[in-house]
Order: sequence, then C-alpha cells, then structure tokens
Amino acid sequence: MYNEVYKNSKVRKFYNQIYDWAKSLPENVIVKKKNEAENLFKKIGITFSVYNNFDSTERLIPFDMFPRIISSIEWKKIKKGVIQRALAINAFLNDIYNSGEIIKAKLIPENLIYKNPAYEIKMIGFKVPKRIYSPIIGSDIVRINENIFKVLEDNCRTPSGVSYMIENREIMMRMFPELFEKLKIETVENYPSYLLDALKSLAPKKCNKEPKVVILTPGSLNSAYYEHSFLADLMGVELVQGTDLFVDESITYMKTTRGPEKVDIIYRRIDDKFLDPITFDSSSLIGIPGLFDSYKSGNVNICSAPGSGIADDKAIYSYIPEIIKFYLGEEPILDNVKTWRCCEEDAKKYVLNNLNKLVVKEVHGSGGYGLLIGSKSSKKEIEIFRKKILLNPANYIAQPILELSSVPIFDKKKLSPRHVDLRPFCLVGAKKTKLVDGGLTRVALNQGSLVVNSSQGGGVKDTWVLNE
Amino acid sequence: MLSRTAENLFWSARYIERADSLARLLEVGYRISLIPNTEKGYTNEWESILETSGIKNEYLKKYKTISKEKIIFYLLFDPENSSSVKNCIKTARENIRMVRTAVTLEVWNAVNSSYHELDKNLKETKNILKELPEIIEWIKKQVNLIRGTILNTQLINDGYDFLILGTYFERADFTARIINVKYFILLPSINYVGSDIDNFQWSLMLRSISSFRAFKWAYGGQEITYTKIIDFLILNMTCPRSLIFSIEKINHHLGRLSKFYKQTSTSNKKIGLMYKKIKNLNANKITEIGLHEFLKSFIEEINYVYKKFEQKYFFGVET
Repeated sequence: MYNEVYKNSKVRKFYNQIYDWAKSLPENVIVKKKNEAENLFKKIGITFSVYNNFDSTERLIPFDMFPRIISSIEWKKIKKGVIQRALAINAFLNDIYNSGEIIKAKLIPENLIYKNPAYEIKMIGFKVPKRIYSPIIGSDIVRINENIFKVLEDNCRTPSGVSYMIENREIMMRMFPELFEKLKIETVENYPSYLLDALKSLAPKKCNKEPKVVILTPGSLNSAYYEHSFLADLMGVELVQGTDLFVDESITYMKTTRGPEKVDIIYRRIDDKFLDPITFDSSSLIGIPGLFDSYKSGNVNICSAPGSGIADDKAIYSYIPEIIKFYLGEEPILDNVKTWRCCEEDAKKYVLNNLNKLVVKEVHGSGGYGLLIGSKSSKKEIEIFRKKILLNPANYIAQPILELSSVPIFDKKKLSPRHVDLRPFCLVGAKKTKLVDGGLTRVALNQGSLVVNSSQGGGVKDTWVLNE
Repeated sequence: MLSRTAENLFWSARYIERADSLARLLEVGYRISLIPNTEKGYTNEWESILETSGIKNEYLKKYKTISKEKIIFYLLFDPENSSSVKNCIKTARENIRMVRTAVTLEVWNAVNSSYHELDKNLKETKNILKELPEIIEWIKKQVNLIRGTILNTQLINDGYDFLILGTYFERADFTARIINVKYFILLPSINYVGSDIDNFQWSLMLRSISSFRAFKWAYGGQEITYTKIIDFLILNMTCPRSLIFSIEKINHHLGRLSKFYKQTSTSNKKIGLMYKKIKNLNANKITEIGLHEFLKSFIEEINYVYKKFEQKYFFGVET
C-alpha cells in the first residue's frame, strides 16, 4: 500500500511540517478540535440527507483534520491531464450528436453510442451554445504510487462535492491558522467566480444583454441541496426550483416579486429526465413544461446539456484515451485504469475467470452502489455477479482492484492510514478552461476499505496544493 | 426577488412570531396553575388558551377533554399540531433553509442553532409543569435572538420587508384573537366592575402579551379599567403588541415595497384606510360600536389585506 506521507520510510518533505504538527497535538486537543469542526459544519448547515422510508434526516459528512498535500509538480500534471480530458469529452459529445466522425472512423462501436440508454436522441443535430455540452467535469483520480495518478471516472452531468472543497478549507483556516502561515497553499475560493464566468460565456443565441444565470435545484430535500444554495450564494445568482420557472412563447421566465423575469442560463442540478415533463418523463413534478422547446429555440441554455451523461458511461470511459487522440491529436496525460468490457467476448472470459481479483461495475451505476470488489466478497456474492454478467454482459465492465494510496487520519486519538481519492473540478467556458488549484479528497474511513463515497461511510479532507 | 423567496421569508418570520405568542400564552397558563383552583373561571383559562391559539377543535378531536398537561404537550411538542412550538421552529427553519441565500449568515445561524437545540431544550418530561418556565424562557430567548439578527444584520431591502410583514401580520392576528376570546371581560358590567375577578382577568390578558408592566408604565400606575385596557391593546402606539402598532408597521412596509417595485396593489390602499380609521378611534367609540363587532370586522379586513398582498407578491396575479 502506498502511503503518500512517506518515501523510503521517511516523511516526504512536503509533509514534514504537517506530520510534525499532527504528531505534536495532544490527545485532548485532537478531541476538542474534532468537536469544534463538527460544530462549525453543523452551524453552517453542511449536511446531506439520507433517505429512508419514513423520514429524511440530515447527517454530517465526516471531516478529517489531517490535510492531504499535493506538490506543485504533481498538481501541474493533474491539471493539464484533467483539462485535456474535459476538452476531449466536449469534442466527443459534439461529434456524436452531430456528424459522428469517431463512429465512422470505427474507433468506437456504433451500438455503444446509438443504442446507449444515456444517448439522447432528441439532441441529435442541435447546435449547443459554443459547442460546450458539459461545462463542469469532476474527474475522480486515484494515486497508485509516487509517480502514477490514474483517472477512475469522469463525472460529466452534475458532479457534486465542490462545496466541501471550499468549506473544508474555510474550517481548516479557522481552526489552524498557524499552518497557513507555515506553508504556501493555493487558494480554492475563486471557484464560484470561475464557475459564473464559465456559465456566462455560454449564453444562448437569443440573449443580447448581460445573461441571467440561475441554479435549478430539485428542492431542499435533495441530498446536495446545501451545495446548491451554497453555490448560488457565492455566485450571487437565484436558486430556483421548477415551480419558480415557466415558459411562455418559448421564452423561459422566473416568477419574481416584480413580475416575470427572463432567464438565460440554467445550471441545472436535476437529472435530464426531470427537466421537462412534456419532452422527458411526464410524471416529473419538479420539471418545467416547455423548457426543452425554449432550449432548442435558442432562448435558454441548459448546463450541462441533456444527453451529456453518455460521456461518463463506464463503457465509454474505457475509450477516453482513443477519444483524446482522435479529437486533440495528443497522447493522454493521465492514464485510465485498465478496463475489461464484458460486451467483448475475450474480455468477458477473462473477467469470469478472475472475478476474485477484479472490481466489477455496472456501466450506469454510481455512488458506490452496484459494484463487486472480488477480493472482499463472499463466494456467494461472486456467483451472483457471475450470473448477472452472463445474463447481460454489456451492462458490466471490470477493472483490477487498485491499491489506492493512503493518507493518515486522526483515528480516535492517533494517526492511522486510510485510502483516498481526489476529485478536481474542471470548468469549460467558451474561451477558457480552468480549474482552481485544489479538489475534494474523499477518504474511506473504515480501515482497509476502498469505497470513498459519502453514502458508504466515506469522509472528506482538505486538499492542499502547494505553491513552492 | 423570486416570489417563492419572498413567501419563504414571510412565513419563516410568521412562524417565529407564532412560537413567541404560544410561549406567552403558556406563561399565562403556568401562572393560573399556581393559583388555587377554587374558582371555576380559572380552569376555564386553559380552554381560552386553546381558543386563542386557534386550535381548539383539532385539540378536542384528538384528546376529547381539557387537561392542562395535554394542552401543554399539544402546544409545545405534538407532532400532529402543525402550530406547536416545535413545529413552528422547524417550519421556520425549513423556510429559511430553502432561501438560505436571502438571509445573512447570522440569521441562518440563529435559526439553525435554535433548530439543532430543539431536542435538548424542548424535552417531554413527566412533570412538564415544573419545567415550563425554563422552556418558555428558552423559546423567548431564541425568538429574540433570531429577531435581533434580522434587525441588526439583514440588508434593509425588499427581503427585510417580507420578514417584518410576516411578524406583524401574525401579531395583529394574534392580539386581535386574544382580545376576541376574552372580549366579555372587557365589557362594562355592574357586577364585575372593580371586583377581584376583573382585576385578575385583566392582568392575565396583559400578561399574555407580555405587557403587564408596560401597561403600568404607560398609564402611570393608575388603576386598571376596561377602557384603559382597550386603549392599550388596540389604540396605543407605544405598545408594540397593540393592533394599531402592527397596522402601522404593515402599512409602512407595504408602502416601502410599493415604492421599491414602483407598483401598487389593492393591499396598499386597504391597509392605508385601516390605519386611518384606527388612528381616529378612541376607547369609548369602540365600546359604542361593540368590542366584538369591532374585532370581527378588524380580523376580516386584515385578512383581506393579506389575501391581496399574497396574490400580488407570491402568486404574481391580483384578482
């Protein structure tokens, strides 16, 4: 297991000061500070909802005070690699909804695109503003050893977690200001203004004044509601629900105390199918009837574009290196994780013969649900997955079980290593592609666990990109 | 501002004011329970507390009989009572949470921490009566804290107007109801005048709006008479819980909204008329009209103002 703090069993120089600091904290201070952090989070209202059959209750996402550090050299590579992927993904989306060159070039099987449930037929031929389909991409990056970072997946629809990136920093600065004097740490507080710039650069055709941006949320019961309101607040834009918007003669308005006001750009945090009950799922109560028509007639932009989700399909993921080469003519800067597509006969055979050594994932699954970690599963669980794969091979991919790198956490009162990943947030505007120097480090709090999702016992850490 | 935002701000403030009113009512209840239970009139106080809070029917449907413990439970905790203090604070917080961006961090912190401390401070115990003073203190403290952050930290913009309007629409309604439920004790009657019952009843009414001492100050320690109480609760601009005070505030803030949006609504005209009318009244005139009749038409009129206000700013169509 690779522990990011050490090199040849010595503390790496980036971690020197933090490690000494962490070691020097008396037990009672650790406990006190932990409580302090929790109270701060509670006070600010950062909670996420957990659903059960009776009630939705609010829970805090566990926060660990030991920061995760990334050197400026490491970060430069990650940043370049993430930007490269974001540009390639947008070029890919533009291509498959228009001329489909990559399919004609036989680099990706036709079926994988056109028969993919995430492929939105209603988007074919539509010219999306500035050809940007997915302006916010959160790529999940894992570290294998000192030199290798790999991308595990790219979230192209509505990646969440960015509020934690910002709030984790706020809390750390409030609790341990002395650390920020010792180390030069890049700030992450510009994210909301970068996001607003990116969105504003994507104004629809029929917008000739300063564009009006809103964030569309499913409502306060949604698990990411805190983040939606947090971003709206920091961007200075309205946080709207479906019932606040209406479409009249193909123009989208919001209801205000002054009367109707035209809306130009919607950063939506609801799924495609709920957007418009006329065009998509007719049972949607949170959608806006006529929104898709307003979108297609160039009166409003919806970010990300409906149908963007196909790019984070796990089967498409395995083609990202080809996608980068095809559209950008470049070699991928960040590697993919080796992926077997069970729809291919040879790969399927290999997967079925090595289930105990692989992670098997559903092509459309997310949130750490619907996956099998072979080495940690019982024979029975493995057999269930074997049957599932045989029944519908195209629904599964497999990857080797990665030994994610680890970083210490304050476990009870002492330091103890836990596995982590990293999610930076890339912003693709009409002219500029940017990301703040930082990201969200998720940490699997259970010893030995490789699942970092908050719904599965994951926590978060502040992530420090050093400016050396 | 989004119509929904305005609506959420309005209702959060309204629910906070309601929690405050309920705490004051319970304070009266607590006082009564300390007085020997010989007079039938005193036990009936609990019934009028229910009536004033406007939930007597719902309560009776559930509990059938009047019992002070049950009433306290119903008013403080009962999850089935949407206007219990606990639900008021929860609803207020939920409303603010939905428009988190429209209030300052201080306001949010005050509302949010009241909510997080609910379970600790509003605990059901066997001897609820004993705990009541402390619970009431806590509620009043939270309300004052929240209101203080609103007054001290909010921008004085349209959102502020909606918050303040929520407070005073609720207060006008509550004070009117509290007088209406007990209007009979404010009627001139030969049998009662100067009697101990009168004095006790009147002082309870004053206490229920936290104005017992304020009354003494306002009238220089003179003897309590029904005309003075009518004057104080309805017509005295120095009493923050009088009807005229709430009407003046509503008139002022509706006027500000109208200027701010450069639009006018029927609610502006109507509240203007109400304010003018109440300003020209005196206690004797009210007795002439009949206190009950006066209150009845007051409640109808203020409801009409609210309806027009709601149509204009929350629904976007005035009909």
